[in-house]
Amino acid sequence: MRRTGTIFNVQRFCTHDGPGIRTTVFFKGCPLRCKWCSNPESQKMAPQLMVRPSKCTGCGACAAACPEGAVVLLPNRPAQTRWEDCTHCFSCVDACLYGAREAAGREASVDELMEEILADRVFYENSGGGVTLSGGEPLLQPQFAAELLARCKEESLHTALETCGHAPREAAVQLARSLDLVLFDVKQLNPLKHRKYTGMDNNRILRNLEFFSQNTETWLRIPLVAEVNDSEDHMDALANLAIRLGVQKISLLPYHEGGASKADQIGLEYPIPGACKPPDNHIKRLTRIASDLGIEVTVGH
Amino acid sequence: MATHSPQEKNVRDHLVVKTVRNIRKHGGREEDADKGMYRPDIRLDLERSILLTESYKATEGEPMVLRRAKALDHILSNMTLYIQDWEKIVGNNVATPQGLFFGIDMNWRSVRRIVDQDEAKTLLDDEGRKKLDELIEYWKGKSMSDIQQKMFTGPVLECWQIPKGGAGTWSHWSELGVPDYEKAFTLGFSGLIKQCRARLDEIDQTVPFDYVDQKEFLQAVIISLEAVIKFARRFAALAREKAFQTHDPADRARLEAVAKVCDRAPEHPPETLHEALQSFFFIHVVRYIEFSTLGIGVRFDKVFGPYYQKDLEAGRITREEALELLQLLWLKFHELGLIYSPTLSAIYGGVAALQAICIGGVDETGKDVTNEMTYLVLDCAEKMRSPEPTIALRYHDGTPRELISRAVDVIRTGVGYPAFFNDKAILPLLDRWEVPLHDARDYSISGCVYLELPGKNISHRAYGGFILPAALLCALSQGRDAAGNLVGAPTPDPMGFSGIEDLMDAYEEQVRYMFQRLCTIENTCQTLYERHLPRPFYSALLEGCIEKGMETKKWGYPSPVANICIVLGPVNVSDAMAAIQKNVFEEKTVSMEDLLAALASNWEGYEHVRRLMINAPKFGNDDDYADRLAVEVQHRSAAAMEKAKNRFGVSCRGDGSGISATYAAGAFLPATPDGRMAGEPLSDATLSPVFGMDKKGPTAVLKSASKISTRETFNHLLNQKFLPQALSGDMKEVFIDYIRSWGDLGVSQIQFNVVDPQTLLDAQENPEEHPDLLVRVAGYSAYFVDLSKGLQDSIIARTEQNF
Repeated sequence: MRRTGTIFNVQRFCTHDGPGIRTTVFFKGCPLRCKWCSNPESQKMAPQLMVRPSKCTGCGACAAACPEGAVVLLPNRPAQTRWEDCTHCFSCVDACLYGAREAAGREASVDELMEEILADRVFYENSGGGVTLSGGEPLLQPQFAAELLARCKEESLHTALETCGHAPREAAVQLARSLDLVLFDVKQLNPLKHRKYTGMDNNRILRNLEFFSQNTETWLRIPLVAEVNDSEDHMDALANLAIRLGVQKISLLPYHEGGASKADQIGLEYPIPGACKPPDNHIKRLTRIASDLGIEVTVGH
Repeated sequence: MATHSPQEKNVRDHLVVKTVRNIRKHGGREEDADKGMYRPDIRLDLERSILLTESYKATEGEPMVLRRAKALDHILSNMTLYIQDWEKIVGNNVATPQGLFFGIDMNWRSVRRIVDQDEAKTLLDDEGRKKLDELIEYWKGKSMSDIQQKMFTGPVLECWQIPKGGAGTWSHWSELGVPDYEKAFTLGFSGLIKQCRARLDEIDQTVPFDYVDQKEFLQAVIISLEAVIKFARRFAALAREKAFQTHDPADRARLEAVAKVCDRAPEHPPETLHEALQSFFFIHVVRYIEFSTLGIGVRFDKVFGPYYQKDLEAGRITREEALELLQLLWLKFHELGLIYSPTLSAIYGGVAALQAICIGGVDETGKDVTNEMTYLVLDCAEKMRSPEPTIALRYHDGTPRELISRAVDVIRTGVGYPAFFNDKAILPLLDRWEVPLHDARDYSISGCVYLELPGKNISHRAYGGFILPAALLCALSQGRDAAGNLVGAPTPDPMGFSGIEDLMDAYEEQVRYMFQRLCTIENTCQTLYERHLPRPFYSALLEGCIEKGMETKKWGYPSPVANICIVLGPVNVSDAMAAIQKNVFEEKTVSMEDLLAALASNWEGYEHVRRLMINAPKFGNDDDYADRLAVEVQHRSAAAMEKAKNRFGVSCRGDGSGISATYAAGAFLPATPDGRMAGEPLSDATLSPVFGMDKKGPTAVLKSASKISTRETFNHLLNQKFLPQALSGDMKEVFIDYIRSWGDLGVSQIQFNVVDPQTLLDAQENPEEHPDLLVRVAGYSAYFVDLSKGLQDSIIARTEQNF
């Protein structure tokens, strides 16, 4: 099949995106703009420039290659990028020999992804692993995602989807057919707070959660950010929602600072510089709230 | 970190550390020399040398094989014996627990040199140095190294040393090999002697053409075996004497038990586990006394499991008692350190005697051998956390998951073993080497990844290191070194190469040419060993020697399994090929002329070229572009090496035991086209990606490694580094599945460094706080503090695989 989509990474040997050893395909493009986003390069659909100043030797090849004059050289400093002038043509990426400039995102066909996915079949078979679509948001590219999943099912691979849930119902329906597991991100149950921190209402998300949990084994994933969604009441509400939907597993993912440095690399200002992960003992308390209700809770990753 | 009871701690307190520090890079450049080669309480033992010299003087003019047997008898009858206050398994090859074995009959020059220098001054006092000089007076011209130097001339002599040897370095060095313990236990030494006498009677009747040789050999075997029985009796007597002197009833019981065991071992077939272990250790120690020896190689669970089972069934032993016996045996293994030359210390950094034992796998009929002893060995290893013996675990489809799980527990402690060896890869290889299936199924591992066939006439050693990237550089220089001397084959001018095939052909020719030269030395050396250092004792324990009336060196097990030369840097070569293919021949971003100039200047002024070479596809990422060339390089190198034959017409071959030579050889090697700078280490094993070049994670590494056919090449080594948490909690099962996938992929070996990089960095800064930190170097584990800074750096640099 010749269908292509936009992805920004294929990561092999993932052990935290579902059972066993997995290959995770990260889709590019996301409808939400969570302020704590750990993969800010996944938000925009189009491929974009990513700069790692720590690898820059100041050789100037990028500046010479840039047709817009958007790279500025200063003595003894990494090359500076004038983001407002950058057209993401990637001339500088091709010119850079040091890996300081990369394109985040590329077009990939279902065929080429399948080849990469099937390379690790022996590991899936031994470990009960498989393939996870993550992102970004796979549901934003439903045709592409559906085809990829269908091909995985043809190969009898275990399939999982990690989703924020913000998508038309048809997209969810289309994918659910080929899914063994859904890892559903719930960031905030309060619609106003949800909009404040992610830019979107959570109405649609919660309805899709309901849909998936009725059709596919579904686990919840909660990115935990101090003061944003780590109250005990919120956890209690989440746990009760899980019980009502028959969800048996919740993963708590404490905030980490990986996103902030990546935001810098794509010329974004990180929206909540002061964000931090809840204290460990508080995470323990939250864990207990859910596990006391009989839900399996994991922390991390 | 596991906690240990006071009692366990006491056992470990008896560990005597004789590992050699890696203080020099190859070529004698001093590095960290003030650290000293050995720990300050270690001494060079001269007793064997003194007794050997006495005996040699008394037997001049007699046939060599009898002289060697009589020398062994003289040593075993007169050497100082000791039984320390904790020993239950006894036997020593040096006069004190702090002694270092010294084979003066092998080589004395480097030893004489270093005992005057800072790095090894503490090994002898002035009186000792005087005594050493007296002994040397006798051995001048008689030691093996003297005899060899007289033999070799011209370019062949140059192979002795890097860098003059082009791509190879040859060294005379201790041998490995595995006695037929099962036969020795079934017959007892009394039975072996009977066998010799029967053979003597037979040849007295038939008088074959080599009658005199056979007769002398068989007489020598009898002298040797009887000498070992006497040696055991001396231990029995010493134990009784000590039992008489002690007032502690528990101690008396211990010593009386030792005496009783030594009354029977190794003369009679053992009846208990204790007797079997004691017989084994006598054989092991005497093998080390007879001839400079390394390794163990016994299939520990297969050989000792039945004795343990019998004792358990008879109610003679508890699990705790058996475990204690093993721990005490482990302590004894540690007393078997030997003196290294500075050159060898660079290659064997952190080694005492390279001792490895083997567990798991199948028996001769294909049945899994896992038994209670298998698990006991792992329990012992976990408690001892000692650099030797390392453990080789043979893996096959029928290996119980429980055994892998237990092995992972031990690996998680960071000791670096067990390493896994894959029957799926190794049995087909042995098949290609024409080893009958029955013998092949009993293969074992004795040192790094040295393949052994227990009891078969194999007495090999790593006689050299073959540095494949040096052959590649010769292919790019028409066989000339930087000074213009012809060190390799005169292959065509690289400026005329029209594609990677031309380079590949030239490279293959260099490998063939230089390896042939190395084998010329080795084959000559083997005839010298045969003439000057026959081994009647070891021969008695190998299938066929008594039967044929022929000493081990006079014939050989007819398979390439017996001839090994360690292979260094195949991955650097294949990464270089991929980089040249891409940049020079395909995309033409670098001209051959610029590449050669860049290499000659160690990339100085050619950083642009170096980056292009580094950015080319690399082995270890499951990328066929790089992996296809890796397959071609590895398969063609192995085939070129096999064109060289040993004295009996059997192919010589490579072996993946990299030891720390990947570091030592890299130290003198100029820049290579994979982007490596001059002096940097080579990739740390024959299947390991170059440091930091594997960017697709641990599954991609295994996939790349699996493309290299073990059957078409040789046994390999693959290092993987993980954080401890990757083997803990939920992740443990995933890790086991990863190992099972490795098994399915048919990669011949895998071993793990499981350590937090911060711990390594801290140990580098504060070595005194980490005296016990073990790391996996190559096919062995070593104390991190014994390694030179550069070697430490190279271990820290191994790509860490994250879960």
